[in-house]
Amino acid sequence: MPPEVRAQEEAFAEQQLNALLPESLLSNLFGSGVFGIGGAIALIFGALAAGSEYGWGTLKSVLSQRPGRLGVLLGKLAALGLFLLLFVLLALSAAALGSFAVARLEEAAVDWPSVGELFRGFGAGALILLVWGSLGFALAVLFRGTALAIGLGLAYALAVENILATLPIEGDTFERIRKATLGENTLGLSNSFGSPFPEGFGVPEPLVEPERAVLVLSAYAVGFVLLAALLLWRRDVT
Amino acid sequence: METRGLTKRYGRRITAVDNLDLAVRRGEVYGFLGPNGAGKTTTLRMLLGLIRPSSGRARVLGERPGAPDGLARIGALVESPAFYPYLSGKDNLRVMARYADVPWWRVDEALMEVELQGRAKDKFRKYSLGMKQRLGVAAALLKDPELLILDEPTNGLDPKGMADMRALIRELGSGERTVLLSSHLLGEVEQICDRVGVVRKGRLVAEGTVAELRGREGLLVRAEPLEEASYIAARLEGVEEATVVDGTLRLVADPERSAEINAKLVSAGIRVSELRPAEQSLEEVFLELTGRETV
Ligand SMILES: Nc1ncnc2c1ncn2[C@@H]1O[C@H](COP(=O)(O)OP(=O)(O)OP(=O)(O)O)[C@@H](O)[C@H]1O
Ligand SMILES: [Mg+2]
Repeated sequence: MPPEVRAQEEAFAEQQLNALLPESLLSNLFGSGVFGIGGAIALIFGALAAGSEYGWGTLKSVLSQRPGRLGVLLGKLAALGLFLLLFVLLALSAAALGSFAVARLEEAAVDWPSVGELFRGFGAGALILLVWGSLGFALAVLFRGTALAIGLGLAYALAVENILATLPIEGDTFERIRKATLGENTLGLSNSFGSPFPEGFGVPEPLVEPERAVLVLSAYAVGFVLLAALLLWRRDVT
Repeated sequence: METRGLTKRYGRRITAVDNLDLAVRRGEVYGFLGPNGAGKTTTLRMLLGLIRPSSGRARVLGERPGAPDGLARIGALVESPAFYPYLSGKDNLRVMARYADVPWWRVDEALMEVELQGRAKDKFRKYSLGMKQRLGVAAALLKDPELLILDEPTNGLDPKGMADMRALIRELGSGERTVLLSSHLLGEVEQICDRVGVVRKGRLVAEGTVAELRGREGLLVRAEPLEEASYIAARLEGVEEATVVDGTLRLVADPERSAEINAKLVSAGIRVSELRPAEQSLEEVFLELTGRETV
């Protein structure tokens, strides 16, 4: 093996190892796609949180007990939010534990990301899951059930978003549409933690800067919650 | 509880509740009677604020329907009981008690009242129809409500269950509590209710005590000439009242005197073509009030 190639391979191996160490905890976690899958899972949980009440017909039982409709909605959203935050915490802890173990095995230095960075990571993960969760929630209220909400939600997340992202269409309008999608903004936020892959292997630069992504995603989350609230408040419960 | 011109339309074609004026007095047991599709459930839903009227208004316990202050004093079972299938009956009631903001010990009391305490720990999904129904009534009782709204509560109960349920409702309605009970069984309503309102196609077509709805004992007479027959009959001994309705003569009188009345009418020169007791069966009363056509 020529020495240049060997050197390259060694550098690559070291980069890979570095990616697993605590210092790259966040880039590793966000780059691994946990929050992509997490988004889909959050969507399903959101749909279940709202949709099951319709499926079992328990909404009328609950609403005729006492609480107002918005009270029930806020309670459900709070429970969903708490659950998703726990999910983020769990993902972060698991990744931290894993990287710590790798560092110990390799006898490498244990350098954690700064506290601020960790908080930013937690916030970003939480925002991503909350957006997708509230999408599932709103869809379930809209369709008065889980099945259609999950089906359409996942079809959008997995198919429509992908098609939009990969369609070989250029042009300002189309780029603006892409920049407004949930997926592209999720990506923009995730990738702001750096890529776990070595230079040259990285995914293409995301279209959306993280600051903008935070704004867009927050707007979506608020929008979905308002939509769910409006529908639940206005519509008949039968 | 009072409604004024309460109306609910679904789309253009269906008017489920049509300009309904209903008044239930405090403390009474009111039967809301009507055939399938008459609009009973729709009305009860509007009273609970579950659905919005298309027009008209309602006040329940002095509150707007669905207002938490009102709901806190109303117990309701509307249509089939719906609970979380994976929770036990007792846990379901605990959840409902939490929503209703009532103390947990009401759960055991409510279960006792519907005699479900033996199966309280079983999952709701494993309950029989009658047990689900009982749990629904138990949930309505949690708040020890001032107003109890029950939509066909004996649905799916066996004969003993029905008898028990009726006894329970009578007992629940015996004190200060107001009960609004929907049913399509006049016999049931007769056993339980002080007053009955009959709905048909969303309209209130009759209201009163069951005895009033049945009409007093009497005779139905077809005779010629009718006006003269009425004049004579009204003066006969034992006839309290004589009215002409729909081309027949209705007498409030003891049916045992029918032969005597017949003889007197005939001797006065009246041609009597039919004379029979006007006593109707409950079914007949019901069918007459609600119409014979089906939904
Ligand atoms: N969500 C709905 N959409 C359209 N039509 C409806 C809806 N709910 C009820 N209806 C119609 O309204 C009418 C009244 O229905 P409702 O359930 O109030 O009758 P009901 O008196 O409770 O009958 P039952 O004795 O069968 O329970 C029916 O014609 C029904 O088809
Ligand atoms: Mg009904």
